[in-house]
Amino acid sequence: MHDDNHNTAHGDQDDARIQALLKDYPMPQAAAGFYDQALARATVKGARRERNRWLLSGFGGAIAAGLALWLLSSTLLHTPGMQSAGDTVSASIPGITMTLEEPRTVNLVFASATALDAVTLTVTLPAGVELAGFPGQSEVSWETSLTAGRNLLPLRLVALTPVGGELLARLEHENRDRLFRLRLNIS
Amino acid sequence: MSAADRNLAFERLVRPHFDRLYRLAWRLAGSKAEAEDLFQELLLKAYGLLDQLVSIDQPGPWLGRVMYNLFIDERRRFARRRLQLVAEGELPGDGLAAIAGSSDPVMDGQRRETIRRLDRALAMLSTDHRVVVLLHDTEGYKLEEIQELTGTPLGTVKSRLHRARAQLREILEKDGTLC
Repeated sequence: MHDDNHNTAHGDQDDARIQALLKDYPMPQAAAGFYDQALARATVKGARRERNRWLLSGFGGAIAAGLALWLLSSTLLHTPGMQSAGDTVSASIPGITMTLEEPRTVNLVFASATALDAVTLTVTLPAGVELAGFPGQSEVSWETSLTAGRNLLPLRLVALTPVGGELLARLEHENRDRLFRLRLNIS
Repeated sequence: MSAADRNLAFERLVRPHFDRLYRLAWRLAGSKAEAEDLFQELLLKAYGLLDQLVSIDQPGPWLGRVMYNLFIDERRRFARRRLQLVAEGELPGDGLAAIAGSSDPVMDGQRRETIRRLDRALAMLSTDHRVVVLLHDTEGYKLEEIQELTGTPLGTVKSRLHRARAQLREILEKDGTLC
């Protein structure tokens, strides 16, 4: 497979161990039907894009959603002066529209004034909306770090009922927390 | 050409490369959701360039370069992505989901732990280093193929590969994965 021969003699043995690990590094196969769906979307949307070139640019709908959210959310989190979740609910909640049973990636962008370690991020979903890959779970939580500036979190969502509701993303750090809300409308 | 003929021509050109492109998307993006978005965006882009695509001798490498450029463009758009890198192992579609079970739960557990550590180590590399080492050592791309795909000089590709392996070795020795 490899015909490259650029390793130094000194590193050959160690490199072989690393390569053995990497050779078996797994990757999920594409979901059944994904290729067909992607192809169908490309031909339908591609044809539409041809007709409406002036409307579209950039990295597609998912990123567009992320940019919109950033515009709305980037001013909300300015650490270390994080306030309590109860104090920070905005009267104007940003929203997106999803198509029933059609997965969509929403990119949440959190802006932080400083780098923060040991931040707990909890995402809570409304009934009938799931995080792709976590069937039946309405809440997912994990510990992470924030860098100074913008921090991107892509969430692949799928709506299983037409009800919709609010997605909540809560950041917690040293007894302070911050709540972000996103309205999910289902069409 | 009718829309149906155009769609058929497009499918004939791109479908043979789907598996390899999907794998490339996954190795570039590092998570299933982003890989699927990247794959989708490639098809949209390629569809718009169909007139150009039909005249290309080797659509596979061309599609790979388009995908890589889309990935780079998107990465530049969001220069800071640490949250995503840290969190990706916890998001759906990470590498652990792809491990087939064996009849030996102890071995499965050990392998999962090794891969979890490899995930963490790879996440500590820069994107340039991670992409080169994954394409070369995991996907089997030749150095020249990576050079062509990324538009990076061969010497730089070699040095990135060398540096990436050295960094992985250091991290994995420190955490006990490599003794």
